[in-house]
Amino acid sequence: MAEILFLSLFVLMVLGLPVAFAMAISVFAAIGLGSSYPQIVVVKEMFSGLDSFPLLAVPFFILAAEIMTGGAITHTLLRFAAQFVGHLRGGLGYANVISSTMFAGISGSALADAAGPGAMMIRMMEKGGYDRPYAGALTISSAVVGPIIPPSIVMIIYALQDQQVSVGSLFMAGVVPGLLLACGSLVANGWVSWKRDYRSDEARPDRAQMWRNTAMALPALGLIVLIVGGIRGGIFTPTEASVIAVFYALFCGFFIYRALRLRDLPGIVLRAALIAAAVLLILGAARAFAWVLVIEGVPQFLAQTIISWELSPILFLLAVNVLLLLFGLFMDPLPGVMILVPILAPISHALGIAPDHFAIVVIVNLTLGLTTPPVGSLIFVVSSAVNLKPAALIREMPPFFLANFLVLLLLTFVPALSTWLPKISGF
Amino acid sequence: MRRLERILVGLNAAVVIACLAGMVAVVGANVALRFTTNHSLPWSDEVARYLMIWMTFLGAGLALRIGGHVAITNLHDVLSTRAQRLLRAGIVAGLLFFFGYMVMVGWDYMQRAQYQMTPALRLSFRYVYAAMPVGFTLLILHLLLIAKPFVLAGQYRTAEGADENLPGAANG
Repeated sequence: MAEILFLSLFVLMVLGLPVAFAMAISVFAAIGLGSSYPQIVVVKEMFSGLDSFPLLAVPFFILAAEIMTGGAITHTLLRFAAQFVGHLRGGLGYANVISSTMFAGISGSALADAAGPGAMMIRMMEKGGYDRPYAGALTISSAVVGPIIPPSIVMIIYALQDQQVSVGSLFMAGVVPGLLLACGSLVANGWVSWKRDYRSDEARPDRAQMWRNTAMALPALGLIVLIVGGIRGGIFTPTEASVIAVFYALFCGFFIYRALRLRDLPGIVLRAALIAAAVLLILGAARAFAWVLVIEGVPQFLAQTIISWELSPILFLLAVNVLLLLFGLFMDPLPGVMILVPILAPISHALGIAPDHFAIVVIVNLTLGLTTPPVGSLIFVVSSAVNLKPAALIREMPPFFLANFLVLLLLTFVPALSTWLPKISGF
Repeated sequence: MRRLERILVGLNAAVVIACLAGMVAVVGANVALRFTTNHSLPWSDEVARYLMIWMTFLGAGLALRIGGHVAITNLHDVLSTRAQRLLRAGIVAGLLFFFGYMVMVGWDYMQRAQYQMTPALRLSFRYVYAAMPVGFTLLILHLLLIAKPFVLAGQYRTAEGADENLPGAANG
């Protein structure tokens, strides 16, 4: 039954069926051809995958980010970042990474990061004399921090798969790794800019202007302080934080930035609802998919096999990294987390790996899969946003692959980078 | 026909917007009440979850219209124009068959659950589970409406109420 499941999923996905439907059809095929279960259990599993209160944070965080973007937040963050680094060699590149990182504190998805500030930044960099493919590659790399720095949609889903972690602890765990990934992109940008001599003729704004830019950016950056502070202080749950984020974004858009108009609101809500619907549909289908794996005993079997090899925790983590990198070449993080975490997380617990540490390694690794060909959604989003062939972008990626890969290794070998912040926050 | 399509899309969009707005309102009101009066609404959690279920299934068709569901197109992109058309026609046929099947099992599931009541609202589960057959019926309609340009040229509709298509945040 598991063979039918994976084989049909593979065939359907290669043929180009949407992932959510490909998963659901392969579950029906596996159950119909390989078992005597009634087909109706698939429907039951899809509903129970969706009927969850913590899951409400997914549409709410998506909506908050869409409202913030509608409120012209991207311009504000860009100006704020550019004033500190814009005059340096490679300055607009640094500004790209920094504004993407700040936007990561508003949005929970890498693709929103790339489509929002990223697309705008590429146009600015091109005007500033950078090669367009390079600007695109930098944007792809800096968008990776989107789901690592809280809020994060992938982390919410991960916490539903593994009872040993909570959304709150994962949000905390992601802060330092997210900043490290951003540093990696900054260093790579510095190196390429030095080699190609991307000089900047941007003048530094005067002090009064800098204060104004800072004052404008503060309310936007306040959102992450609100989310992280509120969850850390035990004032509200992640789901409550997500709905507070929506109201905060509305307040900023209407009263502080005043760029949000009432008549734009239905369009923004619709957009957020459709993005969320696509995410949740995959989730429902993946839940049914994971159910088949569980009744087939696949996770238990793999766990026993791998534990019997008596790997050391670090060898296991390295093996998981290789497996996930291969998986990430073809799969996106969300189905990846849904299918692999129920299998891998129990093994990691049995080996005594800190749950937050393991979660960060898995999430960072799968998110890097968005930047790698042949199936890398970030590459596709950026290539269609700036009208470039994916191959042109991929040629510029190696320095960023290297930087991100080194950060991933660092995160694998040094658990404290992921566990320190949750620990001192009392998780 | 054009007009009917506009009405369908407009109504569908309005209901989806109402679902998400309702979720925000209910959960938001609950948080506000908890902070101000220390009480919470016993039914808010349930209402928000069921609205989310409805939003998901009702939004699926609209998302399909504008190409909002993630798919892998590597094979598709290397084929000749003719083979691409054949492949896309195959995808449409396969999806129609699958959607029809989902309407059927979804309906069956709804019928079986009709005597169960939700814990807080005492509402028949029929009204929750109806989201699936209704949603997949809408998916069939939306797919039929975009079928011709999609099969011939691989095109989706542009998003109503938004100036560009979805980035497909479904991938994380």
